[in-house]
Amino acid sequence: MNTQELAELMTQRAQAVQTVVVRCADWPAAIRYAVEVTAAQGGRTVAPWAIPEDMHRLLVESSAEKGLAVLDPPFHRHGQEIHTALTTADWGIAETGTVVLDSTEEDCRIATMLSETHVVVLPESRLRLSAFETAQAIKAWHHDPPRYVAFISGASRTADIERVLTIGVHGPQQMHLLLLQEAQS
Amino acid sequence: MTARAPHNVQAYRRSLRQALDNSFLRQTLDTFAAAYRESRARAFEGIDLEGLIADIARRKAAALPRLEELFDAFKRRAEAAGAVVHTAATAQEANERIAAIAREHGVRKIIKSKSMTAEETFLNAHLEKEGFQVTETDLGEWIIQLRREGPSHMVLPAIHLSRHQVAQLFEKVTGEKQNPDDIEKMVKVARHTLRRAYLEADMGISGANFAVAESGTLGLVTNEGNARLVTTLPRVHVALVGYDKLVPDLETALTILKALPRNATGQIISTYVTWITGATPCAASPTGRKILHIIFLDNGRLTLAKDPVFSQALQCVRCGACANVCPIYRLVGGHNYGHVYIGAIGLILTAFYHGVENARALVMNCLNCQACKAVCPAGIDLPYLIKNAVRHVLDQEKRRPIKNLLLSRVLKDRKLFHFLLRRASLAQKPLAGKEPLIRHLPLFFDKTHGFRSLPVIQAVPFRDRWERARRSVTDPAVRVTLFGGCLIDFVYPEQAEAMLPLLADHRVAVDYPSGQTCCGLPALMAAEKETARDVALQNVRAVDLDRSDWILTLCASCGSHMKENYPKLLGDDPVWGQRVRRFAEKVIDFSSFLQDVLKVSPEDFIPSSQRTAYHAPCHLCRGLKVVDAPRELLKTAGLEYVPAKDEDVCCGFGGSYSLEFPEISAELLKRKLDNVEASGADMLVTDCPGCVLQLRGGADKQGRPFQVCHIAEAVARTYRKKR
Repeated sequence: MNTQELAELMTQRAQAVQTVVVRCADWPAAIRYAVEVTAAQGGRTVAPWAIPEDMHRLLVESSAEKGLAVLDPPFHRHGQEIHTALTTADWGIAETGTVVLDSTEEDCRIATMLSETHVVVLPESRLRLSAFETAQAIKAWHHDPPRYVAFISGASRTADIERVLTIGVHGPQQMHLLLLQEAQS
Repeated sequence: MTARAPHNVQAYRRSLRQALDNSFLRQTLDTFAAAYRESRARAFEGIDLEGLIADIARRKAAALPRLEELFDAFKRRAEAAGAVVHTAATAQEANERIAAIAREHGVRKIIKSKSMTAEETFLNAHLEKEGFQVTETDLGEWIIQLRREGPSHMVLPAIHLSRHQVAQLFEKVTGEKQNPDDIEKMVKVARHTLRRAYLEADMGISGANFAVAESGTLGLVTNEGNARLVTTLPRVHVALVGYDKLVPDLETALTILKALPRNATGQIISTYVTWITGATPCAASPTGRKILHIIFLDNGRLTLAKDPVFSQALQCVRCGACANVCPIYRLVGGHNYGHVYIGAIGLILTAFYHGVENARALVMNCLNCQACKAVCPAGIDLPYLIKNAVRHVLDQEKRRPIKNLLLSRVLKDRKLFHFLLRRASLAQKPLAGKEPLIRHLPLFFDKTHGFRSLPVIQAVPFRDRWERARRSVTDPAVRVTLFGGCLIDFVYPEQAEAMLPLLADHRVAVDYPSGQTCCGLPALMAAEKETARDVALQNVRAVDLDRSDWILTLCASCGSHMKENYPKLLGDDPVWGQRVRRFAEKVIDFSSFLQDVLKVSPEDFIPSSQRTAYHAPCHLCRGLKVVDAPRELLKTAGLEYVPAKDEDVCCGFGGSYSLEFPEISAELLKRKLDNVEASGADMLVTDCPGCVLQLRGGADKQGRPFQVCHIAEAVARTYRKKR
């Protein structure tokens, strides 16, 4: 599969698990999206993790314009007040609509677990068809411990009351996947 | 919560009767069964399922003899990464170790993510007794913890509860009015209440779906994300892991992961799959790194892993599917179909993990319908293990019921067996009169057994009719040995007689050797393996394999037993093994023989407008894996096939099962007949005389507007004699 086909499959499978998928031409577009989505939901804060340094500056500026605060690590101090987690995924697994995040640093985990909305940026070049194609990279992490690796496919969900699918039980209530096109070249 | 399973069948039947009266449960499980079937099929679209199952089975089976070696590798890696790895020989030892870790680190509040292994050890009860405050965080587990009960499903622990029950419960917990129809809002109640518990907890306890030996990595699969919070926020993390969760490498874990969510909930992937290697950064910990303890639970697993038969049970990946498809689970729910572990795998594991007294009654409650086996992603032959577990329980208790002794004594001596059957034909005369059915049972039967009429045993069995009934075929195209089986021979000889003209016209030379006897399945069902072996040999000896292209049987149960279990029972026998395997290869059912071997054509039949429903016998559609042939044969034979709901769900016969658990058998029969009646059929056909016995007996007793017959009889009726 070429990148285009992988991106299409990823979009379809991620949408099937209620992930909002948006294709972004570049990083600044992704930053704008994260800020807008936070403001639209009435959120007040963004906790960024592993985004490029210049984008962090852009995020601070754009957030200020909308009256949002950009939180600084360590995030455990902000456990109850994180609205949006903005992160970069290491891999995308197209056939299951999954993003893979090396979540070894506690700040990454707290941001992606305690936020209301998780906005994750995935460069399209990091898309693979199946988990098996990421196995070597993941093994390499596992052999360089400690590690906490997360496969995330959609927002937190349960069907424990009368088997009715309900989104947002413990983790984020919304998952937004921003497929970043610039990294193709 | 150390509830005990009923210790005898009488007490067990009382709880089953109560469960049958719970209409909410029945409806919920019915809807679930239908939805599960569809979503599972969708989730596996485009995947070579059989290949995947074989791959998982092979990988898990290969790991079992190496468990201790894999453990050593895991421990080395995990400890190098900052974890402390323990072993616990028993449930008690595991619980005490966890309590000791909690005390050592000054823990008061504990949060838990769902772990069947912790359910197995009754960990919560132990920790609470020790003064710790334990909060389950999986929504379903939290609900049942608040209700002080155990899970009723391994994946959906609170499936037995209605939204109204949950609303009442949450009203008590929050002191606020809840709207039962606003499930989303009730879920938010859990979100807010449990969020506090996460933030206040000193210790998190999880299970694990995988323990990856090559890197000392734990793999956790959840949808809610609670396991992520449990393993992240508190300063201490304890993982309680069964030895059977050890896999050599990430590839094996990923292979299992490909099937686990698809088979469990019909999801392509669960929302969160988490891989933890070693002590990760943790701000709440005094050292800045997580205090991580991993406890491997033996509790019988290491012995089980060495057992030639039961080791297969350790291939289980805990998807819960064997409950989802079980017709008995669907009627009575998990609190009545398991002790801690639920479904078919629960019937087996209870005997080993929770003592034979808790398994004694439970393990008898299996129809051998094979539905669980067909859906198991790890290729476990669950019904076969259940029958072996019955024997295990009897052996452990040094019991051998009189009926088992009689069955063995009688089946081993064919002449005695057949003598007794002939005597029975005389003894039943006062009950039957001239009728072909016995509608009223004598008083020594419990009245719960009267849900169907019973057929009479024929005065002249097929074996005595054979010389007159046989047709000579001068220039045979195919040579067949007919295997009757007890029901055809002594109860329904007309089913075999009906097909003889058609076979002769198609130049099929038929032999019916009189040395044949019962196929032996009843012996295996009663856990009398030696007798099953003995009887199998009698049949193999009776058939001249060099003069038989096929061994044709009208009985799906005999057929699948001979084809699949004979090689299991005798395939490795140094003297008979090869002949037994050759015998098994030649076994064929009636529909496949007509449709695929003789290739009968519509011109051989006179079209009929009779609307015909079909019941797929368990041992045909799953045992022999014959699915299309009978339906195609109906069409070839000019009958109008009308589909009915749940065609491949068991009719409830299950041989002696219907005598052991008549209430369940009767309910399954009623549903089956309801579905057929709803299809508008005039006739119900099936290809197993056992199913005919059950279905015809029920249809007669309940006055259903359709007749029941064997497919051989139905086909014989529309057959047009060759000119």
